Amino acid sequence: MAGLALFGVIREPIEDKLRVRLVESNLLLPPPGQTAMEQMSQSTLIGTLGGLRSLIAVFLTLEAYEHFGNKDWEQLSQTYAIITNLEPRDEEHWVSWIWHIGINATANMEIDTRLPEFERKRRFFAYALEAVKIAENGIKQIPESSVIRMQLAEVYREKLKDNCATSRVYGETIGLTGALPFVERFHGYFMARCDGKEQEAYDYLTALYREGERNHLPTLIVEIKKLEKFLNIPVPQRIPDADPDRRPQKSSSKKPAPNQIPGGIIIP
Amino acid sequence: MSDSNATTPTLRPPTAKVPLFSFGRVWTIAGSTVTQLVRMKTFYFLLAFALVVVAVGNFNIPTTPAKELSMIKKVSFGTMDLFAWLFAIVSTALLIPRDLEDRTLYTILSKPVRRIEYLVGKLGGVLFVVGVSLLAMYAICAVMIYAREINFVGAEFEAMKADSRYTQEEIAEQLSLIQVQGLRAELGIAVLASFLKASVVAVVTIFISTFASSSLFTIIVSVLLFLIGHAHTMATNFWLHESDSNLFVQMLVKVVKILIPNYQLFSFSEGVVQGEAINYAVVSQMGMLTGGYLVVFLLLSLLVFVDKEF
Repeated sequence: MAGLALFGVIREPIEDKLRVRLVESNLLLPPPGQTAMEQMSQSTLIGTLGGLRSLIAVFLTLEAYEHFGNKDWEQLSQTYAIITNLEPRDEEHWVSWIWHIGINATANMEIDTRLPEFERKRRFFAYALEAVKIAENGIKQIPESSVIRMQLAEVYREKLKDNCATSRVYGETIGLTGALPFVERFHGYFMARCDGKEQEAYDYLTALYREGERNHLPTLIVEIKKLEKFLNIPVPQRIPDADPDRRPQKSSSKKPAPNQIPGGIIIP
Repeated sequence: MSDSNATTPTLRPPTAKVPLFSFGRVWTIAGSTVTQLVRMKTFYFLLAFALVVVAVGNFNIPTTPAKELSMIKKVSFGTMDLFAWLFAIVSTALLIPRDLEDRTLYTILSKPVRRIEYLVGKLGGVLFVVGVSLLAMYAICAVMIYAREINFVGAEFEAMKADSRYTQEEIAEQLSLIQVQGLRAELGIAVLASFLKASVVAVVTIFISTFASSSLFTIIVSVLLFLIGHAHTMATNFWLHESDSNLFVQMLVKVVKILIPNYQLFSFSEGVVQGEAINYAVVSQMGMLTGGYLVVFLLLSLLVFVDKEF
């Protein structure tokens, strides 16, 4: 017993230092929060205490999928709260949680006729705002995550229709590891639609345009054209490309096929 | 005179002095332990493991390829970890009592075999089987991860190539997001982490089995110690917070931390599986800590075992 105690006294400070270093290098997860522990079932808690956090997180992900199938958004959110507490550094969990609440739950509120319209509208915004909150917590946990930001931008873009916030989030994503190249363009596109930011958007988008041919994409040209008109940019300073939306359609010299009726529909 | 000479045989002087510690004898005991464990059909659990891996590899829930790969890895490595520590406890708890039941222990100890050699041999045998099992499980899950990764990358590449909106750069970026969750050399460190944890669990179980009255007692106590060892950091924070760092609670917590190994430290395979960068300096320190546990607990086991009458 004395030997055991002596060894314990020697190893305790070493283990404390090692623990700090393992947590700092993200190899070891800090203990789950007390709220998450209270929400866990008995077996989940024992599994977590038994060092099976990843395994439990995967099984809870499957359970969350079942809630998704039943459109039980409250339960789904609670399950993901535990999952992200168990594995706060796994950005895929955060992305799934935002996607379920911000995209799926809101879409469900648009079509769920069992609820009165005012309630559907209320819940639609409640879910969208909950998704924003989830994303903010996720970004706090993984500040370097590009995928969480891209998912958050989708919620702002598709559900809240907040162009300024969409542009801001895409802007924050630029340069992060794993950020897809389109975020640079999307930052500008949504800035162009944000009131009061037109000049900044014009400068940004024209700078992208001047970077080279690879950026001469139809949407970029359309947005620049719109801004040139809005900002009254002198004609000589405008970009030379034609507006892709106004490009004249090539008239087809081909004779219609014998089985083709007006409107181009082919009768088999 | 001649009669007395006939009744008391003359003893031959030993030809060579018996060495204090012999690796040859340890090797023999370890080898017989491996045979003993193999005869218990312990490797059959690999079939169960393969089933788990195949099942999780075919979940087909609508998610991203990266997430699916991540799920396969987490379930596979979580199951590997579970099998490793559980196997370490059960096999170690069974070995000494079985040697006693079979009376093999009497035969071994009546020979010039030191008790420390017996303990080291038994532990070595268990660790060898745990190591081989972990490698076999790693091979099974590596095949599954690699097969799924190739599948996902191929499908994603074809889909993105068919869509003219994506540039080569975007395709490469998207594929790299999948490959990050695929088969990587760093996953070997996760296997090592499970092995280190199983080693500490095995040596603690050997220590318990030297004074335990039955295998069942050893297994139950070892599993409980394992759970407490995993939770005591969490419990310490909670108790200290709840009791406003009361002196009595502080002392109690200290006693628990001193007597029970901190198994949570050895769970760093979870971070590796999640794709975090590996800090090799910390991993090597964990290796040294495991070495410390092995030496100290073997010596403590010897202290108990040496006084035991058989």
